[in-house]
Amino acid sequence: MRILFLNNLFPPLVIGGYEIACANVARALAGRGHDIRLLTTWSHLPLLADQPAWVDRSLDLQWFIPHLSPEPKVQERAIHASFCTIYPNTLRLLQVVREFRPDIVYVWNVAGIGGVALLDLLNQVKVPWAIHLMDRIPAELKAHVPPTILGLFNAQGAELYATARIISMSQHLVDEIEQVGHIGFPQGVDLIPGWADETDALPHEPYLRDGEARFVTAGTVRPHKGIDLILQASSALKMSGREFKVDIYGDGEIQRYVDMARTLQVDDRVSFKGSRRQPELLKLYAEYDCFLFPTWEREPFGFTPVEAAARGAIPIMTRNCGASERLVDGVHCLKIERNVEDLIEAMTMITDRHVDLEAMGQAGHRLGTSDLSFSHSLDRVEAVLRGHARDWQTALADDPKLPLLAFLKHNLSLALRFG
Amino acid sequence: MLRVAHLTPAYFSDLSVVGGGERYVYYLAHALRQATEIDQTVFSIGATARSFNQEGIPVKVLRNESPSPEPMEGFSSALWTQLKGFDLVHVHQSLSLFGTYSTPIVRSLGIPMVGTDLGGGENALMLQGRGLELFGGILSISRYAHSLVDGYFSGPHEILVGPVDTDRFCPDETIPRDRKTVLCVSRILPHKGIDRVIKALPDGLRLIIAGRVYDQHYYGLLKEMAAGKDVSFEHDADDDRLLRLYRTAGLFIQASTALDIYGRVIGKPELMGLTSLEAMACGLPAAVADTGSLPELVPDPRFGRIFSSHEELVGLLTDYSYGIWPAPGASALACRHVVANHGMAAIGSRLAAFYASLVPEKTATS
Repeated sequence: MRILFLNNLFPPLVIGGYEIACANVARALAGRGHDIRLLTTWSHLPLLADQPAWVDRSLDLQWFIPHLSPEPKVQERAIHASFCTIYPNTLRLLQVVREFRPDIVYVWNVAGIGGVALLDLLNQVKVPWAIHLMDRIPAELKAHVPPTILGLFNAQGAELYATARIISMSQHLVDEIEQVGHIGFPQGVDLIPGWADETDALPHEPYLRDGEARFVTAGTVRPHKGIDLILQASSALKMSGREFKVDIYGDGEIQRYVDMARTLQVDDRVSFKGSRRQPELLKLYAEYDCFLFPTWEREPFGFTPVEAAARGAIPIMTRNCGASERLVDGVHCLKIERNVEDLIEAMTMITDRHVDLEAMGQAGHRLGTSDLSFSHSLDRVEAVLRGHARDWQTALADDPKLPLLAFLKHNLSLALRFG
Repeated sequence: MLRVAHLTPAYFSDLSVVGGGERYVYYLAHALRQATEIDQTVFSIGATARSFNQEGIPVKVLRNESPSPEPMEGFSSALWTQLKGFDLVHVHQSLSLFGTYSTPIVRSLGIPMVGTDLGGGENALMLQGRGLELFGGILSISRYAHSLVDGYFSGPHEILVGPVDTDRFCPDETIPRDRKTVLCVSRILPHKGIDRVIKALPDGLRLIIAGRVYDQHYYGLLKEMAAGKDVSFEHDADDDRLLRLYRTAGLFIQASTALDIYGRVIGKPELMGLTSLEAMACGLPAAVADTGSLPELVPDPRFGRIFSSHEELVGLLTDYSYGIWPAPGASALACRHVVANHGMAAIGSRLAAFYASLVPEKTATS
């Protein structure tokens, strides 16, 4: 298949699992012989030495910029560009569709790159397309664009996605999009959960080596990931006299949490290790007993607990986050209500061996190397794309007036929003 | 059978707008119906959604989604669903915000489009931005109207001045005319130039001004100017009264101006002088200002004259007073001219042919 990926970010620029997953799927499908083009945005960081030639970084990015002006009009303009329309991006997508003639366009995260206009363009040219949801993108696009402007793109509700094949990593995410964005997908949704890459897996180290429990978490270091809860629970565990350490990998509000750890006097137990590339993290998980994931309830899925489980690190995770659909409480993981008390109790079960750590670790490993393995998920992705790809009237993409149509929509949207 | 949707930001009703542009859409639909078998629906914008029938033409009013209360700035995204199944869409007021919003929706639906400017707006995205190029064809209501958009559109263009309901607007030989009565039918607005007619009106002629007041200050000025002259106003003339005025007056004057009495420049004055055509259809000779499209309406000096200044209008009225003009038989000439060139049948058949040229595959198989 000729598959055109469309995503806002590509390594080395990543925010979380969404971008990494896109990159990994693209690489793997290319490895399976598919003809891949991945249209994404610029990178201000040095490119990866192994960046594939099929990565096209010609899109502009207007979001995820560390500094955003506090001026409301400037912010609104950036929001409009990010979620609604960036005319050069729309033109570029059209150009790539015309040149590459994909069998299918495989859309990932279109926040930050003028997502509404891009999806509208795909509908105009009637190219088959699928969207892989790992966050509530449809709800976000809708929330950041006024209804009068959405109407210009037929994007007030589910119409924007009516011809798309929908892939979601959890039912939880689909439900959230419907509840928050009032967008349903009557055509049905293919649920493909988050996965773990089983290649290069190392055997897990013995649990509670030297009598110390080793906890780890990885991802964005921010409140919604439960970092505050982890520090507070660590404080309680320390006061109870238990031996443990917590390693936190990732970027975010590091300074704030370093200070908080000192205030709680757990800076001798909790370490902020900074960012690691995903392959390195996957290897590191084998050294830890337990993966802490007290994330917010709206977590669409969360790759990291699955990846950790596959490496034998037992997840402690929020009971109703996306990934909890796939991991069984007491079998593969420990599920908690998202509060300090529950987290303390679960961590204590690890430190005090109130669960069979080896059995639970092996169950997680089996799950991560079978149903939730990357290769199995990729098979499913491939089947879904193949099922939706079809011959399409490329003449529609060649309509010389499409740039004019996009121009009119873009500028009218600006006029309606900013006068 | 061709399915055509007419899109108009306002519809001819006290609930919406009572104006020439709104009435024009109905006239056009009726003209088409006379000329060919066609399925037509008029879509408009209103405060609430509703449907009704206007003399056999279905009208669907879509709820206004625009924050603006201005009629020309209303729009509705319901077009995405409402227009499915139509073969052709005619966007009236194509240069308004309504037209600018509707055009990309229709184009996105892949339905061939005709656009017409009826004077509401001059959106830069449609003109300088070349949004007009998204239309399959442009219908202009005069050569003057055509000249305003010609530089922005490279596709097929048709100019149709009319239609006039010549079954209704026709002479009645049983009613005597009063040669001393000069008639103006117009909204009371400065750019209509009614002050010019009052100023030039000679003794011995009487002037009737039929039209609603839209500018009280200007109306006060007109009344002051009319002091000592034989001038009367009729603000509530209904259609029957209007017809009777056309049939009983001796001369019709349309004095619209691009520079009003207050020194204000008027954009796009008189894209089509429908009242002049209606008057001539009733056998009334017409004198028109050299403003906008008006000169196009009187191609034959035997029944129609053009003035550009106060002096010329005075001279014209003097000629009229002394019976020097119009020419003998002018009444019949004027009527025949309108029927042949601007009547329902003439306009309907030409418009049907224009539509057919834009959707040949549909018209060939129907």
